[in-house]
This record gives sequence, structure tokens and C-alpha cells, in this order.
Amino acid sequence: MRNISLNFKKSWKSAFILAALTLFISLGLKAQDLVAGKTLYKDNCASCHNLETNSTGPALTPKMNEREESYLIPWIRNNAALIASGNKQAIESSKYSPTQMKAFPRLTDDEIKNIIAYAKVGEPKKIAAVGVAVVDEGASSLSIIGVIAIIILSIVVLVVLGRAVKMLERLILKKQGIEIVEEERVSLALGVSGLFKNKKFVFFSVLCLVVVLGSFGWMGMWETGVHTGYQPVQPIKFSHQLHAGINQVDCQYCHSGAFKSKNSTIPSANVCMNCHKNVQAIQEDGSISVEIQKIYNAIGYDPATQTYDKTKEKPIEWVRVHNLPDFAYFNHSQHVVVGETAIRKEKGLKPTDPVCVACHGPVNTMEEIRQFSPLTMKWCINCHREADISDKRNDAFYVNVIAAHDKIKKGEKITPALLGGLECGKCHY
Amino acid sequence: MLAMNKKNIVYGAFIMLAVVAMLSACRDKRSTGLEYARNMYDPIAFNQDQPNKNFANGQTAQTPPPSTDPIGFVRFEFANTAEGLKAAEAAVVNPLPLTKENLLEGKHFYEVFCGVCHGAKGDGKGPITLLEKGINAPAFYGEGKESSRGGLMSELTVGRIYHTVFYGYNAMGSHASQLTPTERWKVILYVQQLQKQK
Repeated sequence: MRNISLNFKKSWKSAFILAALTLFISLGLKAQDLVAGKTLYKDNCASCHNLETNSTGPALTPKMNEREESYLIPWIRNNAALIASGNKQAIESSKYSPTQMKAFPRLTDDEIKNIIAYAKVGEPKKIAAVGVAVVDEGASSLSIIGVIAIIILSIVVLVVLGRAVKMLERLILKKQGIEIVEEERVSLALGVSGLFKNKKFVFFSVLCLVVVLGSFGWMGMWETGVHTGYQPVQPIKFSHQLHAGINQVDCQYCHSGAFKSKNSTIPSANVCMNCHKNVQAIQEDGSISVEIQKIYNAIGYDPATQTYDKTKEKPIEWVRVHNLPDFAYFNHSQHVVVGETAIRKEKGLKPTDPVCVACHGPVNTMEEIRQFSPLTMKWCINCHREADISDKRNDAFYVNVIAAHDKIKKGEKITPALLGGLECGKCHY
Repeated sequence: MLAMNKKNIVYGAFIMLAVVAMLSACRDKRSTGLEYARNMYDPIAFNQDQPNKNFANGQTAQTPPPSTDPIGFVRFEFANTAEGLKAAEAAVVNPLPLTKENLLEGKHFYEVFCGVCHGAKGDGKGPITLLEKGINAPAFYGEGKESSRGGLMSELTVGRIYHTVFYGYNAMGSHASQLTPTERWKVILYVQQLQKQK
């Protein structure tokens, strides 16, 4: 029932927009105006304005519907002149923010009218795809429950079928006039205790037990301290699939330490705000997405006034996924920059893949981040045994190493400094 | 045959139970699983992202104290105002020479940090802009493509570009935390090449 009303609501909305569009067209505004208006809007207005939300400038759709064209045209062309002329509406509008709107002397009346026509209507609302966000949480435990259920069900079916077959056979025998000697019904408890006296059964059970316990023990020991597949619940439902996959944001845009430091760095909230100051994923009821609101709460940002309050800052406590033991040193920049070509070759990456994929796996398909590689010593060593770095003579690191070797051959003095011994991180990590 | 049935059922059920037990041994993805000597995994010193009671704001990563600079760090002394922009435009020059290496690195940084909105070719058609979710990055070239602070995009001076990278403007946020001054200048060398496109 709810679905029907929801669908009705949606179709009603799109029908309304369609009606509004046709109304505009019938009023003499050709569709061409909207298309031209959109292009002009994108070139001239969209850097500062959004249609439905306040940005550097106020939301345009309500403003354009509110004001008369006779006011809007001179305002868009040269708002400073309009304010100077003492227009009350203009003076009121100028109080929106201290940032003053740019003048557009080059736009003709027709072009401005096209922009107004487009901004009044806005984009036709896309009907949200239903059921896209399928959460796969607990899928593995569900499937195990399913397997158990199927097994129990099949046992029940087998028992019932067995009974039925027995009954039918008895019926047939009865029809043939053969008297059946009733088997003595063995009680269940007696049957079970009888089973334990059966040597074959006891041997078989012990064998099963040994196999099961052995496997458990082996798996347990093998996986102790190995966190492959670890996928903790994060405080914000950040989707790498959406950001790195669909939106094609480079890994290093957010993890910008990866190419210049030991740590790949978890982005601070100001990096999120580079996009999410404007991208708010407004819900159907007009509110900002809950997850994006969490960023705002963390950095003390008020989307209504577009101001930051430092006293309300509260760091996002992400749960660490990849954690090398403290006794192992790993440096991201060595692998992302110096080792990049060697790693790409060794792991057979596509040129379009970021080098990060070699160890972190297909992060751009992960709705929730999880540990892809075991990060065990064996795993590190295997790559360090195989990877080919002989064509790396152009990289500063290897140039230094080769230079140092030449010096040793010549019997000259070499210092740790030549091998990067002055890097802070060599000692202080 | 009937007598065998009962036994078979019991045997079958036992084997299946064993299989199920094995399957359920699969790890819970929300936990790190069995660990031995966890204290060897946890750092003795503080990791930069860890909470830290020793500081007033409870974080390990601290910003440098006011009025201090790391060695070799050059401050950008222009305010985030129209006047600051003008002053930066007049005073700032790119300290880096236009070399192949600098351009190549600049191209990489540009593609990572700018291309996602401004487009890999500087045409304002990056994947984020194409989403039309409220971010509309301008192209760096093209006739009549004006900056929202006046002047053609293709004629933006280095001081102005640096000021914008440092403070951000309109929908664009500050990229100062992601790029060091040298990296910013490498990006600008590359942006200047993009501006020359027709």
C-alpha cells in the first residue's frame, strides 16, 4: 500500500513538473530557451549559485520565481549599479553575503531571459531508483543459517518420506494377504545407546571429531593475527565504491599522504568539505543526508549560515582497518612513488588502475572498506623476492644506491646521508 | 533396504553437521579474529590518528604552534579578501623553473587534485562536475570563459591561481592541506600550459 502511494507521489511530482513545463512552453517560452539558458547558467552562474540550495550565492529557483523580470535583468547585468541607484530590493539582496556578485555586461536581454527561464524551472526531478542501496550486511551469517535450515529440512523430509514408504509397503503387503510381524518398536534412547556400542559408528564419529577439531585448530592457528577480510563498522557509512568507483575521485585526493609520507593519512574533514560544502545529497523530505550531516557535526559546520564553529569540532573516530604490527616498518611513499612501476609490473595492474589496488584490492568496488591482503611477512617477502626493479635507474633512490656502490668499489668514503640517513623518518617513526 | 534407511539418515545428518560446523568457522568480518600478543600490534608511541589525553583537544595530530614555521617553509602572507587577491596578483611569482620534471609532476598533481572537477584537460568537465550535484568547476581556456572574480580564465595570473588553491573560492575548498607550496607551484606550471589551449 505504501509502495503504491509512494509511486503515486513520485509520478504525481513528475506529472506536475511536466505540466509546469508545458505551461511555460505555451506561455511562449520555447524549449530552446531552456536549453540555451542551461548552458548560459552553467557558464556564468553555477560557480556561485545552486538552483535549490544556498551556496556562495542564494538558491536561484526560489529567487527567480519571487522577483520580477524587470528587476532581475538589471540586477544580473550590473548589480552594483542597481544597488547604487537605491533600489530597495537590491539593497536587501546585497546583504546576503559580503561577497559581491560579479557584473555581466556582456549578456544580452534575451540571454538573461533564457537564464531566468531555466533557473525558474530547474532540472526535472529524477525519480530515485528504488532498491539501489541493498545492504549486504550479515550476508555470510545469513547464508550459514540458510545452509543449516536446508539441512534440517532435508532430514525432516527424508524421515517423513521413509515413514511414508514404510506405510505404503505395509499396505501393499496387507493387500497381498501377507501378515506382517510387527517389528518391536525400539525406543529412541535405546537406539542411540545401541549406536554407541556399534564399533564402526564409534570409529567414524571419532574420525569426524578429529577431522573437525583438526581443521578448526589448523585454521585458527593459520589465521591468528591475520586480518584479511576485516571490515569493521565505521562511524560514517562512507562508500569507496561511490567515491572512488562511480565518481572517479583519485585515491590520493583524500589519502594525500600516500605519495609523500610513511602514512597514507586518513583525510581530515576539511578534505570532505571540498566537495560536501556543496554536495549535500538532499533527501526527498528536503533534509541533508544523515551521513553528510555527520561530517558537518564533526567540523562544526552550519549549512544554513555556511559558517564554521571551532568550538563544536568533534573528530570522526574512524576504525582502523589496516594495522601492521608496531615492529614492522612500512612506508607508503616508497611503494607509491619509487616502487610504482615495479609493483605495477609485478602485480599485472591495468594502466588505468591506481597503484594502490596492488595491495588494497578493488577498493573502488567496496561499499564498505575491508582488508584485502593478509599483510603478513610472507606476503611482503614474496613480492620483494619477485618484483623486478632493474629498470629503476632513473629514480633518485636507486641512483643513490648505485652511486654508493660505485664509491665503495673505488674505496671512497660513503656516509649514511648519501643513503637517505638524514630523513627524519629513518629514526623518528 | 528399510533397515538401512535409518542408519543412512543418521550418518548423513552427522556428516552434514560436521560440514556446517566447518563452514561456521569462517571468520566474522566485524572482528579481527584470533590474535596472539596484541600488544605487539599496538604502538607504544601514539599514532597520529589516535586519541590522546595529553593534549587539550584530545588528538595526537597537532597543528604547529602559532607563529612557528617548519624549516624552509614559506608563508603565504596574503589575506583571503579581494584586496589580498589583488596584492597576491601583483607580488607573487612562481619560484620554480619550467622544466620537464616539474611539468610532469605538476601534471600528476593536477590530475589527482584538480582534474576531478576541472577535467583532466582543464575543460571543466571532470567527473564531479559532470554529476551536476552543485559543483561546477570552470574551464581554464576558451573564449568568453570568465572567472567569477572577473577576467578571462585563460588570463588568470599565477598569484591569483595560487591564492585560489590556497584559500579556495566559491564551491572550491582550500587545497592547502593536501598540497605543499612546492607541489602547488608545480600544479600551477601545468595549469598555465592548460590555459594556452584553444
